[in-house]
Amino acid sequence: MTAVAEPTNDTSQIPAPEGSVTITVKILRFNPEIDNEPHWESYDVPALPTDRVLNLLMNIKSYADGTLSFRRSCAHGICGSDAMQINGINRLACKVLVKDLLAKEGKQTTVTVAPIKGLPTMKDLYVDMEPFFEAFRAVKPYLIAYGNEPTGERYQSAADRERFDDTTKCILCACCTSSCPVYWADGSYFGPAAIVNAHRFIFDSRDEAAEERLDILNDTEGVWRCRTTFNCTDACPRGIQVTKAIQEVKRALLFKRT
Amino acid sequence: MTEVERHNYDVVVIGAGGAGLRAVIEARQRGLSVAVVCKSLFGKAHTVMAEGGCAASMGNANSHDNWQVHFRDTMRGGKFLNNWRMAELHAKEAPDRVWELETYGALFDRTADGRISQRNFGGHTYPRLAHVGDRTGLELIRTMQQKIVSLQQEDFTSYGDYEAKLKVFAECTVTELVKEDGRIAGAFGYWRESGRFVLFETPAVVLATGGIGKSFKVTSNSWEYTGDGHALALRAGAGLINMEFVQFHPTGMVWPPSVKGILVTEGVRGDGGVLKNAEGERFMFRYIPDVFKGQYADSEEEADRWYTDQEGNRRTPDLLPRDEVARAINTEVKEGRGSQHGGMFLDIASRLPTEEIRKRLPSMYHQFRELADVDITAEPMEVGPTCHYVMGGIEVDPDTAASAVPGLFAAGECSGGMHGSNRLGGNSLSDLLVFGRRAGLGAAEYVESLDARPSVSDADVTAAAKHALAPFGGPDDGGSEENPYTLHTELQQTMNELVGIIRKADEIEKAIDKLAEIRARIGRVTVEGNRQYNPGWHLAVDLRNMLLVSECVARAALRRTESRGGHTRDDFPQLDAQWRNRLLVCAATGDQPVPAVDVEVKEQLPMRGDLLELFELSELEKYYTEDELAGHPERTA
Repeated sequence: MTAVAEPTNDTSQIPAPEGSVTITVKILRFNPEIDNEPHWESYDVPALPTDRVLNLLMNIKSYADGTLSFRRSCAHGICGSDAMQINGINRLACKVLVKDLLAKEGKQTTVTVAPIKGLPTMKDLYVDMEPFFEAFRAVKPYLIAYGNEPTGERYQSAADRERFDDTTKCILCACCTSSCPVYWADGSYFGPAAIVNAHRFIFDSRDEAAEERLDILNDTEGVWRCRTTFNCTDACPRGIQVTKAIQEVKRALLFKRT
Repeated sequence: MTEVERHNYDVVVIGAGGAGLRAVIEARQRGLSVAVVCKSLFGKAHTVMAEGGCAASMGNANSHDNWQVHFRDTMRGGKFLNNWRMAELHAKEAPDRVWELETYGALFDRTADGRISQRNFGGHTYPRLAHVGDRTGLELIRTMQQKIVSLQQEDFTSYGDYEAKLKVFAECTVTELVKEDGRIAGAFGYWRESGRFVLFETPAVVLATGGIGKSFKVTSNSWEYTGDGHALALRAGAGLINMEFVQFHPTGMVWPPSVKGILVTEGVRGDGGVLKNAEGERFMFRYIPDVFKGQYADSEEEADRWYTDQEGNRRTPDLLPRDEVARAINTEVKEGRGSQHGGMFLDIASRLPTEEIRKRLPSMYHQFRELADVDITAEPMEVGPTCHYVMGGIEVDPDTAASAVPGLFAAGECSGGMHGSNRLGGNSLSDLLVFGRRAGLGAAEYVESLDARPSVSDADVTAAAKHALAPFGGPDDGGSEENPYTLHTELQQTMNELVGIIRKADEIEKAIDKLAEIRARIGRVTVEGNRQYNPGWHLAVDLRNMLLVSECVARAALRRTESRGGHTRDDFPQLDAQWRNRLLVCAATGDQPVPAVDVEVKEQLPMRGDLLELFELSELEKYYTEDELAGHPERTA
C-alpha cells in the first residue's frame, strides 16, 4: 500500500491516563455504502505500555468515531473474535501489548491495523467468516463412532488423549488460515484451521471415521496444497503446531493408504 | 409497513452459549425446527471463558461422591435460598449430561485408569469438576457446535438442505418478544451486519442470553453480557427473582489496568494455590464464617494434608464458597494488607513444580505472562474481586424451564433460582447442560401441545421497529445529545461503586437516583452513521437493557435487609433466618422503552421432606427459623 497523506481524526476526547504516550494508530477503513475501496485513517491516541491494541480500538470507537467496526468478545484470547493484521502480522488485538510495539526512544510509534487477508472485508476490520466456517464444516468436525450408543463415558488413556491435545486448543479465530499464501491465492483450499480440526478427530482414539476425513483431505483442495511455509504456526495465538499437524495428516495419508 | 425478513420456526433459542446450544440439540432431536440467534459469531459465546470445569458427582476421583452430597453442597453454597427442586434436578442429572457430552466427543482430562478426571473446587466436598486443563468452557461449546454441525449434515442427507431443521442466525440481536393474547408469538431483531430487521414467527422462545456483568465496571464478563434476556423477559411480563445476588469472583486480575477484572480460575486454588496478604499471611483461616465452622481446616498443616488425604482432614478455607473469599479479600485490602495494586496474592509458584503448573493451568500461565509480565511458576499473582455472575434471573418452573409467560422458557445464567444467593464454581456448566436440555424439552412439549399457532400483528412489528430505531432520532426537544459510551461508563461506575460487593442503604439510594438520571438522559442518546455494522447503535440498544436490569439489582438490594451470599449489606451484616425463604420478585410496569421496576416479596415452597432429611438438624438450625423447624421429625420425635 502506498503511503498517502491520510486525514487525522479528532481524538481529543480520549482520556489520557498518567504515564501514557501518544501513538498513531493507522486503520484500514472501509464502509461499503460509501467507499469504493479501503483507505487508511490515522488516529493519534494516548496509550499505556500495558494497554492492548484492543483497548486503543475501543477508545477510538468510544470517543472518536462510533462507527469504527471490529469484532471482539472475551478480550483475553479465548473466543478468537478479534483476529486482525497488526503491523502486518495476524494477531488477536486483545493479546498484543503496546509496549511490544513502541518505537525506539524518541521516535513516534505508528501501529497499523488492517483486516485479515483472504476473506472478504465487509466493513472496516470485519471480514466475512462464512468461507472459513464452511471449510471447517467440510471436514466432518465431530466425533463419529459406530455401533451401540455408549451408556456412560468411554475410557481413554492419558497417552491417547495426549495424542491430539494440541489441535483441540483451536479457537477458530482464522489467524492461521488468513496468513496462508496458498489460501490467499485460492480460497477453495481448505486452509490450515480446517485441517487442524480434522486432525483433532483423525487422531482421537475414540473416533472411527479417520478414513472418511483423510479421503476429504486427499482432495485436490486438501492437504497437498500446503507448501509448508509455517506462516500458520507463527500466526497461531494458541501456540498450536499447525504445520506439524498438517504434516501428520499428510503422513497418515501416505502410510495408511498405500 | 416495516420492511422485515421473516422466518418461521417451531422453537427459537436466543443465545448460543452452553444452555442455548443444549436446548437447540434437544428440541431438534425431538423433531422440531429450531433457530438459534446469537449476537456473536457462532462458537464464540461467553461460555468459552469458563475455565475450571463442570460439576457432576460421577465419583471418578472419590467414590463417596453422589448426588445427595452435591445437592447439599449446592444448597449450602446458596445459603439455603436455592430453589431446592432445581438444585435436586441439577445434582441428579449432571453426571448424565457430562457422560452425554463425552459421547458427543468432548475432550476431558483423564484419571490413571482412563475415566473422566475430576478436580477440587470451592464449596464442593469432593473433587467433582470434570475438566480439560483450564479451558473446559471452550471445549463444551466446541463440542456442542460440532454436534450441531453433525445434525445439520444429517439433515442434508435427509432433506437435501443443511438448514432444513436447524439454522444458526449469528451476529443477530433480538430486541423484542412479540405476543398474541398473552402467549409468545415471535421474536423481533436486527442483523448486526446490515442493520436490517428480522422477524421470527414462533410459538416458543428459549432465552439463554447469559448474564448482566457489563453493568459493572470491573467484570470478568464479555461485551455480550448486557442482560438482554432478563430485559426481554421482564418486558414480556415474566418475573425476575434474586436480582440482588451478584457474584463477585474473588480472583480477577487487578493489574495492569487494561486487563483488570479478567478471570483467574478457581482451579488455581483447587490445584493447591493459596491466598496470602501483603504480610505473607494465609489469611483465609481467619474468615471461616459460623455456618461453615467445623467443615474447613483451621490450620495450615491440616489444609495442606487435605490435598493428599481427604478422609482424615478438612479442606482449606481458600476453597470456601466464592462470596466468602471475595468478602475476605475485600476486607484485607481495606484494612491495609493489600498488594501494590490493591489486591491479594495468589501463590501457586511455591506450591507446585513448574512443569505441573504449566500442565494443569496453561491458560493462566500464558494469560499472566502475556498480559501482566508475571511468571506464575516463579511469583505470585495479584488478584481481587471481579463481577462474575448473576444468581438472579427469570423465574421458571424447575422441571420445564417455563416462565410465567406461555411459550417463554429460560435456562442458564439468565434464569434464576438454581443457585440461590451464591453459585458454587463448576455449577454453572452443569446448570447449562441440565437446564438447557430441560428448556429444549419443555419448549418442544409446549409446541406439540398447541392446537393453533399464534400470529404476529403488523402493528407489533411496526412498534418493535420504531423502538429499535429510536437512538437514530436524537432528542425530541432538540436539546443536547448524549453519547451512549459516556452513559454506559457512568452506569458501570454507579453499579460498581454503589451496588457492588459491599452495600449500604444510603449508597443504594444514591445509585437509584443516578439510574433515574441516566434513564432521563437515555432518551437523548444519539448515534452517528447508518444501520450497517454500527456499534454505537448496538450499544444504545443494549444500554436500555443494562439500565433495566441495574434497576432490578439496586431495588432488590435495597429491599433485602440482611447479608446472604452475593448480597452483603454493611448496615445489616448478619444472615437473617426470616429472609431465608423470601424471594424478591421484580416485575416491569408501564410501557415506556425502559419500563419501571416493581419489587414484591414472595415465599418459596418449603423443601420436600426427603431432601430436608439429607441435612443434620444442627446445620438447618443455622439457617432456618424456629417456626420452620418446629415440624422437623427430630424435633417432634
